[in-house]
Amino acid sequence: MSDPASGSTAAPSPQIPLQRPGAPRRLFSTLEGVFHEEVFFLILSVFIGIFSGLAVVCFRLAIDWTHLALLGPLPNSHSWRLFAVPALAGLVVAALVLHVFPGIRGSGVNQTKAALYIFNGFIPFRTAIGKFICAGIAIGSGQSLGPEDPSLQIGASIASALGRQLDISREKLRLMAPVGAAAGLAAAFNAPISAVLFVIEEVIGRWSAGILGSVVLSAVSSVVIVRWFLGSEPLFRIPVTTFKRPTELLAYAVLGIVGGLASVLFAKSIGYLRPRLKALPRWTHYFQPALAGLLVGLIAFLGAPQVMGAGYDSMDQAMHGQFGWRFLAILAILKIVATTFSFVSGTPGGMFAPTLFIGAMLGGAVGDIERIFFPHLTGSTGTYVLVGMGVLFAGFLRVPMTSVFMVLEVSGNYEIIVPVIVANTFSYLVSRALQSIPIFDLLTRQDGLILPSLEEDREEAILRVEDAMLPVPKTILNAQDYVDANARRVQDLTDSTFLVRMHPSGWSVISREQLLRLFREGKGEHTLSSILPVQCLPSLYPDLPLDAALRYVNDYPLVPVVNRANSRQLEGVISRESVFEKYGSSRAIQVPSAD
Amino acid sequence: MSWTLPKLVPRSAPVILLILTLAAASGFAAVSHLVSRYNLNQQARGRRLYAAGLTEASAGHFDDAIDAFRAALTCDPTNSQYQLSLARALRDSGDPRLLDEAESYLIALWQRAPQDAAINLALARVAAHRGSIEDATRYYHNAMYGVWNSDPDANRNRARVELIQFLLKKNAPAQAESEIMALATALPADPASHLQTAQLFAQAQDYAGALTQYEDVLRVDPENPVALTGAGEAAYRSGNYAAAQRYLRLAANTNPQEAKVHELLFTTDLILRANPFRSHISDAERNRRITAAFAQAEDRLTECAQKNGVDLASAAATPKSASGEASADTTPTAASTASALAALQARWTATKADLKHLSSAGETDLPDTIMDVVFQIEQQTAATCGQPEGLDLALLLISQKREALSQ
Repeated sequence: MSDPASGSTAAPSPQIPLQRPGAPRRLFSTLEGVFHEEVFFLILSVFIGIFSGLAVVCFRLAIDWTHLALLGPLPNSHSWRLFAVPALAGLVVAALVLHVFPGIRGSGVNQTKAALYIFNGFIPFRTAIGKFICAGIAIGSGQSLGPEDPSLQIGASIASALGRQLDISREKLRLMAPVGAAAGLAAAFNAPISAVLFVIEEVIGRWSAGILGSVVLSAVSSVVIVRWFLGSEPLFRIPVTTFKRPTELLAYAVLGIVGGLASVLFAKSIGYLRPRLKALPRWTHYFQPALAGLLVGLIAFLGAPQVMGAGYDSMDQAMHGQFGWRFLAILAILKIVATTFSFVSGTPGGMFAPTLFIGAMLGGAVGDIERIFFPHLTGSTGTYVLVGMGVLFAGFLRVPMTSVFMVLEVSGNYEIIVPVIVANTFSYLVSRALQSIPIFDLLTRQDGLILPSLEEDREEAILRVEDAMLPVPKTILNAQDYVDANARRVQDLTDSTFLVRMHPSGWSVISREQLLRLFREGKGEHTLSSILPVQCLPSLYPDLPLDAALRYVNDYPLVPVVNRANSRQLEGVISRESVFEKYGSSRAIQVPSAD
Repeated sequence: MSWTLPKLVPRSAPVILLILTLAAASGFAAVSHLVSRYNLNQQARGRRLYAAGLTEASAGHFDDAIDAFRAALTCDPTNSQYQLSLARALRDSGDPRLLDEAESYLIALWQRAPQDAAINLALARVAAHRGSIEDATRYYHNAMYGVWNSDPDANRNRARVELIQFLLKKNAPAQAESEIMALATALPADPASHLQTAQLFAQAQDYAGALTQYEDVLRVDPENPVALTGAGEAAYRSGNYAAAQRYLRLAANTNPQEAKVHELLFTTDLILRANPFRSHISDAERNRRITAAFAQAEDRLTECAQKNGVDLASAAATPKSASGEASADTTPTAASTASALAALQARWTATKADLKHLSSAGETDLPDTIMDVVFQIEQQTAATCGQPEGLDLALLLISQKREALSQ
């Protein structure tokens, strides 16, 4: 960032005496020098966090206010409001989505990813406004959706708008949206670590100090803002959680398997219904959110108002054993139905909170059933509810690391880390086995976008230098030897290029033809080291990604691969042909289908 | 329709940061205003709901109270008073599943204010609902030594009384007694407190302690009918029959309708008249009492044997059979009863011959030996045939309080 005025190099006019700049001007110039782009981007991340935090505070107030205004402070079953309000609000939301904010349909996570990978960090600011209004009405009126995904997108939109205003580099502009997304998600969950991990794991997909610093700063600053205004009370009152006997891990593994199956059911329901409802005539889109609202209202009216909205209060109650296992299981199933229809109808809102809800109810139900058959199990219902939350997070959203840290961060209890890891792993594996495409990738493909699948990236086998490495050549020349001696060694060989061991370390390369020419030119009395360039060849290590070799193979016919512990020990060599041959045999660009 | 924000920001980093800082400060101020307005509205709504909850709770409609308190908490989630009231309503609702939630609210409150006596008391009551003596005692003690907002001494005593009642209910009289003793040391001067403490002593079967407390009440209010009855009964239970007679007579005069008082007084009179170990009675009177008791014992033994279908004459004639080898048509219990009664009959018969030496016994052990037989018969028949009445009851009680009565 430089100011053209202050950076002017024009010579002063001879008529005007040279004046020393004043103190403010000097300070300004000094600051200009300090704020190079990396530092500026980090500071900007703090502001993104602050603005996102402020926006999320307003968003949460909007949801609460809408809820109070439309449904009252504590809705009871069999109230006409439960039946009517979500449907009527659905009509309003549908009209707004179709006519005013058409870009807010879909997942905020995917739109943030699209901004990162396709649109150079661009997310329209209108998206933030649209998400704020429509999601506020939808969630506040009781649609079975959560505020986290809209918060994430509001944060991303704010960051993107700010970045565009500031004309920062394209590389940084692309990263603005994920940084804002982390801030939005952290503010919504009041959980900065989980938000950072989620954005790294699901949106950005790579770790680097620059990105991590910005994401962490924005997440932390947004959480500080939210806690400042809304208090630092956790989302749930965590009950006493216990894990005493390692054998109980089997019980949690069963929970993981059940959670994995539920995740697949949930994801497949959305994957099946969403494109079909979207393909219906446009006029039906006006009524789809209303019909989803009617379904949610009916469920609530008939005795399960817990399925409405994000459902954090009900999760809290489940955690404290207020529901029997039958009701917990019914709530889990009803929430899957309600959330599926709310989401596929195009109503703006997220699936984070419903995922936690389903997991919590399922966890409580499975735990209670297990204790009926095995009364010696020591885990309380609250423990299973907590573990269940992570299970669905891992299985449905397919973010295994985030799911573990989310449970730990929400519960503040590290005693249950082992059950959480075990259950989440089983859930993740079951979900992966039965549903090859993660839900976010599925939604992206249904929307006609092809974004990198970060789960596939994580699972993809990385080609390394050792995969393309050729064996150590039989003939290695010594730079301390004379040209004629080396020429005699190579004259009967068929190799075109030879590695030369330099003294005291390093490697160089010389072609057979070049060596013989030197000999013919009468330079046989010279050592190779006196003739070859002083600069040695670059070396590679066997464990480096093969992509690293691409930088050198065009410039050098052979690149030595050396041992990390002893750079004089040659492990093999890399050539252009060997690299391309390896890529050619193992890599083909595949365009995934949406099915 | 495309919305784009105009680019107003210059490219100089310090200026940008200055503008951003100003924007953040403005946003902060605006959101502060918004949040404070919202919170004020919510707090007002919360207060209304809380008041409704209190009304429902005081009427015993705990389900409605819980709903109201929950709604109040949605308006003001961090309000400790709402949380405490909700926890109390959850605890008092009678639904054991709600105890967990009540406890979690209270634990959260306790973590913020571990010295708060009201929170500790509420936690103690939850623990008492669960039946956990250890937890309840801990929290009750915390409540006693915690900070009360008003009238700390009375509240502390009330908490201790609650703990004592819980311990008595859980059949932990030793722990209860130590708490009652502590309570007795810190009592205010009013008779009601002493009366309550006396009743607690009596429930813990510390009748001497109860008598002391009743006497404290009677010093202030000599005609208090409850204290007179209580003192009489406490003296009676502790074997202090002279005092019992005195208090029970006063109680009977004060409250002639009380049947229990008359019943106790009747037994007390009998005890005092029948007790051969009473000091300051002549030898002749002592011998008369022993002889009467001995005769009464035989009647009681015979009556009890008949009641159980035991023929004492044949049982005595076949002592081997009576001593344990039951016949084919007799159960082991019946056989052992017959054996025990027959053995007593044999002992009574053997002692009867010594009765005529009673007048010349002087300082020998004969009176004690004879009364031992009487006491054994009364105790065995009480065990076999149930609680006796009249003189038999008096003799049984004398046997139980012999040491106290001889003093």
